[in-house]
Amino acid sequence: MSGRGHTRTRTHAAVSGTRQTPGTSAASLPLRILRYGRTQPLLISAIAVLLALVAISLVIIAVGKNPLQVFHSLLQGSGIVPKPRYAAGKAMITDFLGLLDAMTPMLFAALAVAIAFKAGLFNIGVSGQMLCAGFLATIIVGYSGLGALMAKPLVILVGLLVGAALGAFVGVLKARWNIHEVVSTIMLNYIIQYVVSFFIKSSYIDPVSRSSRAISSDARLTLMNVPLGDLSTRIPLCFLLAVAVAVLLYLLLMKTRLGFELRAVGANRKAAQYSGVKSSRTLVTAMVLSGACAGLAGVTYYLGYFNTIEPGNLTSVGFDSIAVALLGNSNPVACILSSLLVSVLTFGSTYMSSAAGISEYIASLIVGIVLLFCACSGFLQYLINRDRSRGRTLHNVAEGEGRDDGEGEGDGEAPEAGEGDGKTPEAGEAS
Amino acid sequence: MNQIIVDGLSYALPMLIIAIGGIYSERSGVTNLALEGLLGFGAFAGGLFVSFTAGIFLADSPVPFYLSFLFAAIGGGLFSLLHALLCIKLKANQVISGVVVNIAAVALTGFLAVQLNKAVFGGASNKFMLSTAPRYTVPGLSDIPVLGGLFTNVYPFELIIVVLAIVFWFILYRTRFGLHLRACGDNPQAVDAAGINVARVRLVAVIISGVLSGVGGMSFAYSISANVSPAIFFGAGYLAIAAMIFGNWKIVPTLVACLIFGLARSAAYQLILVLEMDASVTDLAMIVPYVLVLILLIFFSKRNQAPKALGQIYDKSQR
Repeated sequence: MSGRGHTRTRTHAAVSGTRQTPGTSAASLPLRILRYGRTQPLLISAIAVLLALVAISLVIIAVGKNPLQVFHSLLQGSGIVPKPRYAAGKAMITDFLGLLDAMTPMLFAALAVAIAFKAGLFNIGVSGQMLCAGFLATIIVGYSGLGALMAKPLVILVGLLVGAALGAFVGVLKARWNIHEVVSTIMLNYIIQYVVSFFIKSSYIDPVSRSSRAISSDARLTLMNVPLGDLSTRIPLCFLLAVAVAVLLYLLLMKTRLGFELRAVGANRKAAQYSGVKSSRTLVTAMVLSGACAGLAGVTYYLGYFNTIEPGNLTSVGFDSIAVALLGNSNPVACILSSLLVSVLTFGSTYMSSAAGISEYIASLIVGIVLLFCACSGFLQYLINRDRSRGRTLHNVAEGEGRDDGEGEGDGEAPEAGEGDGKTPEAGEAS
Repeated sequence: MNQIIVDGLSYALPMLIIAIGGIYSERSGVTNLALEGLLGFGAFAGGLFVSFTAGIFLADSPVPFYLSFLFAAIGGGLFSLLHALLCIKLKANQVISGVVVNIAAVALTGFLAVQLNKAVFGGASNKFMLSTAPRYTVPGLSDIPVLGGLFTNVYPFELIIVVLAIVFWFILYRTRFGLHLRACGDNPQAVDAAGINVARVRLVAVIISGVLSGVGGMSFAYSISANVSPAIFFGAGYLAIAAMIFGNWKIVPTLVACLIFGLARSAAYQLILVLEMDASVTDLAMIVPYVLVLILLIFFSKRNQAPKALGQIYDKSQR
């Protein structure tokens, strides 16, 4: 099935290659760039981000602020652009390392969502898996008094195993008892949240902070107050690990048999089953990988970015990561970029709200609008692909994009769309 | 015992109406993870109405209470147009669209609430205060043992929800439109061949889910916190999705799921109170409903079958 999709995509590419009419209007240039197959989703995401920035600028102007200043202070807050002045021991590089520290769990969490999504599973329980892994690593290693050389790898190992075990549980529930992963992960989120809260409150509470007692600095995955010249900075030890895991997952998905089977199950579970893939086992494997990433996110969050756990709370990282993964089109490598973007927005928003005097909600509003445009990018893709099969000139598409409401109307009424073009990108991806 | 039923119902019924919204959307073939955002935005619209008309009505007038549900329904319905636009017209991935709607709802309501409160009342609060909701006890009927709980301390919105639930049950299973809607979720090609506009049916279904979620969200706002704040996004939408899947996308089993969940929750609370246990044990008791649902699912979800065309973008040319 996927093979057929592949040939079709190729035909399209060939057809469009012969029909490269140079566009005359300015709008056709981005559309022409978009035609290059593999990078297309990435470029569409980039364009969606740009469109979103334009839209958000309008909102900021409506509130009576200068959008350039707002964006500038976001970048300042995340250490990409220098601030006018710094407190003692702080500089741009310390801000930037702070950003990377915040980004590490975000990237792991996004990978967890992405790898599950590739297999057609929606892991909405990343937050719960993070909390469970973080909590167990805290009580097993964080309070143990082991030396740094032993403790840090152990923390990572515990996170990995706990997350993988939770993922396996969800996967088995799905494969064996047909329990929808959305339901089981939501239920597990709540169960983990309450159980962890109970244990922290009854045994591990710090009476002053009302959180769990701080873990030993030997077990923490972020080095704190490292002297760097006359600066004092934090160093996220696992950032490179997160990037490496992203690359590894990409290779796994694209270059191995398991990855192929995983994507096949995601594209069409029944078809994959018929063609000899053991779909149940693949589902469980995907959930194990996803849970393991979530576990790593948990330890880098609760034993890295922070060193305590606040009882009765799930972190929003697990939910934001859904957005990050989708922004990265569930491509592990693209997730690096998208989690950087979202981290800049959330990490920089504290400084932004004080420097530019605008509510922090604007940051999440930006994320929302970026995603909104990314979701619409599917429509853009659809327009391009339809254009390929119907042999319309680029110019027409550019026009069509301008009045997409009218176009959409037409789709519903008349049999305009060619032979299943809406499906082509997915089928092409599956092969 | 009475208290278990009273609290259980006031939790289960709003969840039910949100889940029915989800059923409408998903039976028509549109995956709806947006329930959380829709209920929040609906409650926001209702709260906005209440706080902006606070000076117009008398202090103890019941009018704003009832009108707030109307506005919540409208707000939820309007916001669901975003989901409909993305899913039906723009052919976006429906899961992505749902997540987008949720994120947009949280950000937008928080942002707007702060801006509006600042502009109108001069304070940068992210809350809209509501009046306390009236509760009624039916004399006579409430004295019946056990079942009396059904008639004790009832919020008026519970009645509204029961009526709505019956009406929407009837529409889904006993009318021509309901038949078309259910067919859209299983075989949209056949529906199209029969000359019915699939996109329009799905649009109506998504709007219904928004309207019902708005009502449910407003109910939660009144029963849990007596204000509309970002705390309205506490996961009720996801629980409703869980109830809907538990109920196999059918209304009556979903009702059962909601009741099990609501009653187990309030029973666990009461147990803590009665046994006078330490407050920290509350956390352990709170897991009862979730564990119960998970265990029940192991027994009951083997034969569960989602609508066949759920999540698929309808493409006329694939007929």
